[in-house]
Amino acid sequence: MSETKTVEVNLKRRRMLVAATGVMGATAATFLATPFVASWQPSERAKALGAPVDVDVSKLAPGQLVTVNWRGKPVWVLHRTEEMLATLPKVEPVLRDPESNESVQPDYCKNRHRSIKPELFVAIGVCTHLGCAPLFKPEPKDAELGSDWPGGFFCPCHGSRFDLAGRVFKSVPAPINLEIPPHHYRTDTLIRVGEDPKEGGQA
Amino acid sequence: MAKGFVAILAGLLVSLNVWAGGGHGQPLEKANNDLRDKASLQRGAVLFSNYCQACHSIKYMRYNRIARDLGWTDEEVVEKMAHGLNKPTDAVLARGDLEAIAKVLGTTPPDLSLMARRSGPDYIYSFLLGYFEKDPEKGVWDNHYLPGTAMPNVLEDKYRFADEAERRHAARDLTNFLEYVGEPIKLYRQSLGWKVLLFLFVFFIIAYLLKKEYWRDVK
Amino acid sequence: MAEHNPNTPDFDKPGTLLQWLDKRLPLVETWNEHVGQYYAPKNFNFWYYFGSLALLVLVNQFVTGIWLTMSYKPSAAEAFNSIEYIMRDVEWGWLIRYMHSTGASAFFIVVYLHMFRGIMYGSYKQPRELVWIIGMLIFLVLMGEAFMGYLLPWGQMSYWGAQVIISLFGAIPVVGPDLATWIRGDYVISDATLNRFFALHVIALPLVLLILVFLHIVALHRVGSNNPDGVDIKKVKGPDGTPLDGIPFHPYYSVKDTVGAVAFAFLFAVVVFYFPEGGGFFLEPPNFEPANPLKTPEHIAPVWYFTPFYAILRAIPDKFLGVMAMGAAIGVLFLLPWLDRCPVRSIRYRGTSFKLLLAMFTVSFLALGYLGTQPATPTLTKLAQLFTAGYFLFFILLPFTSKHEQCKPVPTRVTYHG
Repeated sequence: MSETKTVEVNLKRRRMLVAATGVMGATAATFLATPFVASWQPSERAKALGAPVDVDVSKLAPGQLVTVNWRGKPVWVLHRTEEMLATLPKVEPVLRDPESNESVQPDYCKNRHRSIKPELFVAIGVCTHLGCAPLFKPEPKDAELGSDWPGGFFCPCHGSRFDLAGRVFKSVPAPINLEIPPHHYRTDTLIRVGEDPKEGGQA
Repeated sequence: MAKGFVAILAGLLVSLNVWAGGGHGQPLEKANNDLRDKASLQRGAVLFSNYCQACHSIKYMRYNRIARDLGWTDEEVVEKMAHGLNKPTDAVLARGDLEAIAKVLGTTPPDLSLMARRSGPDYIYSFLLGYFEKDPEKGVWDNHYLPGTAMPNVLEDKYRFADEAERRHAARDLTNFLEYVGEPIKLYRQSLGWKVLLFLFVFFIIAYLLKKEYWRDVK
Repeated sequence: MAEHNPNTPDFDKPGTLLQWLDKRLPLVETWNEHVGQYYAPKNFNFWYYFGSLALLVLVNQFVTGIWLTMSYKPSAAEAFNSIEYIMRDVEWGWLIRYMHSTGASAFFIVVYLHMFRGIMYGSYKQPRELVWIIGMLIFLVLMGEAFMGYLLPWGQMSYWGAQVIISLFGAIPVVGPDLATWIRGDYVISDATLNRFFALHVIALPLVLLILVFLHIVALHRVGSNNPDGVDIKKVKGPDGTPLDGIPFHPYYSVKDTVGAVAFAFLFAVVVFYFPEGGGFFLEPPNFEPANPLKTPEHIAPVWYFTPFYAILRAIPDKFLGVMAMGAAIGVLFLLPWLDRCPVRSIRYRGTSFKLLLAMFTVSFLALGYLGTQPATPTLTKLAQLFTAGYFLFFILLPFTSKHEQCKPVPTRVTYHG
């Protein structure tokens, strides 16, 4: 080593080059990490399996509910009658989040009926409490649910109750309203579940 | 010494292609297809759907992937390739009943997803153009590149009613499409490659200057 | 060393986390022993990059390999599909897979050059015999690792390559056939074989590899690195007790190896982005066809890094002797430290006989590598026999020529033109 100390060391240049190499190395590491991190995203296959689902509602009678599978979850499409819609304003005093402020839905469904068209209700049929599947109990004054039952959804696991717009009642375990998936109308009677309406398209 | 090593490596990679050629002595024709030619790929996709897909699948492809890479919308791709009968997310499968086809032809038509990587675009191109009418009276065809092949001359109408140039054009478009199908990422891979190389080149210069700087100590 | 080296981190600063850790783990000591104050000869040349590059490739194989297992399915029904799933459906899966497949070939390129360096400069000689032995074990495990990994894509070459190599065990007298069946876990290469090869490829052998690499480096640092002059730098020390011809690994060789690593990464990226098939050598075209137990490809050639040994196997007209010759071709390398009896290490100061022998060995190895990729025609088989003789003659003649070799005088100091 004694022989190597005779050279005058340009510390400034050295520090600059160390920093430059460090920056390049860190950049390289970041670039290199990107593919590995991104590879954990849902693959094309997962996306294909979770692709939007089209629901034809032309034959869906008032009062009728169909369930379709989207990304492995049940999605309800309910054709609400005038009577059903009439219950929505009435139950609001006993709802936890009537304005859906804390709940999950696309902006175009943040309204009283929580849907694009008032009569057609699209929701994910998974209880926001612990993920059970609530039952559809449309009849008011249901024998099991009591005389004040306005009609809605009832979760058999822990007794959570939702109205006919998926809004949760007070003093049940579920914290927020049922989730509304992104959806839009491809035609007047064809709903595409799992895709937001395109900019300027028909909501 | 370093230069010699790089030269050897490059020589090894490029020149000695042991697998060149899939034919039996028959020299292959150059396909000269161009993956960047989107119009050709689109024509190739439609040709594939019309002439090949009855028997051959490209099961590792989905219609929506083809749409995205070839510049179609999801609606367009199923309209052009499947007459609207498939969903965009469906895999591109053969339309015929493969078991029934196997009974007729005596063999199951292979999936073509990786044909271009297995045998090369030139082979596909040559094969498509390699048919000749062995027995014109019975309408029996054979192929120079795969004698006795069970595959009928699906481009027969192009052989009979189109001129040479149009037939070659169709074969080239089909070849181009199948090369794309073999590795859909290929163009992106190459376009990313030079950016990575440029970055590494700059990195190399900086690292080299750093090394030079430190090694001034060493006498 | 009381004097603080300005190039090593300041470990003595009081009250740091480092100090806290160092009281509980020998951090500073290890750093100094292996990096900060590991004195390496200052005259390393181009050939000395390949050790650190091998380590780099090892890390690449580990990381990309772990990521591949996240999407790969080790079953005969799903393996081929899952590779295409990685190549097409998994985000960036194509890049990760190409890095792994290219890495496999890069590993052998780097390791072969690293070994050749060792032979050229006599790095296997006393006191580095054990470094060489461990290195050879690494090479052996690497061959197993590569062989098993090659079955996993479950293409035609994967299948038939494995079929041929496992059949070799059948050549062993008495137990051979049973042994081959036991390795396969079936009467043919099957789902069971694939599954166990997967287990060995992704966990057992990598673990062994890691331990061996660790031992390789520890053993090397115990005796110190050799150099292109083969001079023992510890014999000439300065007043501070460090070798006059030695420089601390860090920063001198850490910055130098960084240059090597980036240059290597450049070449690696050229292959990954522009020639991932490596001209049919890194990814063989028949392997784009799923394994078919009923149809043998027209021409089975192992991956290029096995072809020299495969050519030796085919050159011997007897099955059992062929297998023995192939095994011996690898086994004899272990004995090199004792076959070479010349006290001079580096080729720079060795006699003509060694230079000629090494030239013959190198030509034979390269020629065998080429012949192994070609179909076995009578002419080429004759050539393969000639070069097989050339390969073994190196080891047979070396003990005699090296004993009486006319060497040039070895200097006491390394040659270095700064």
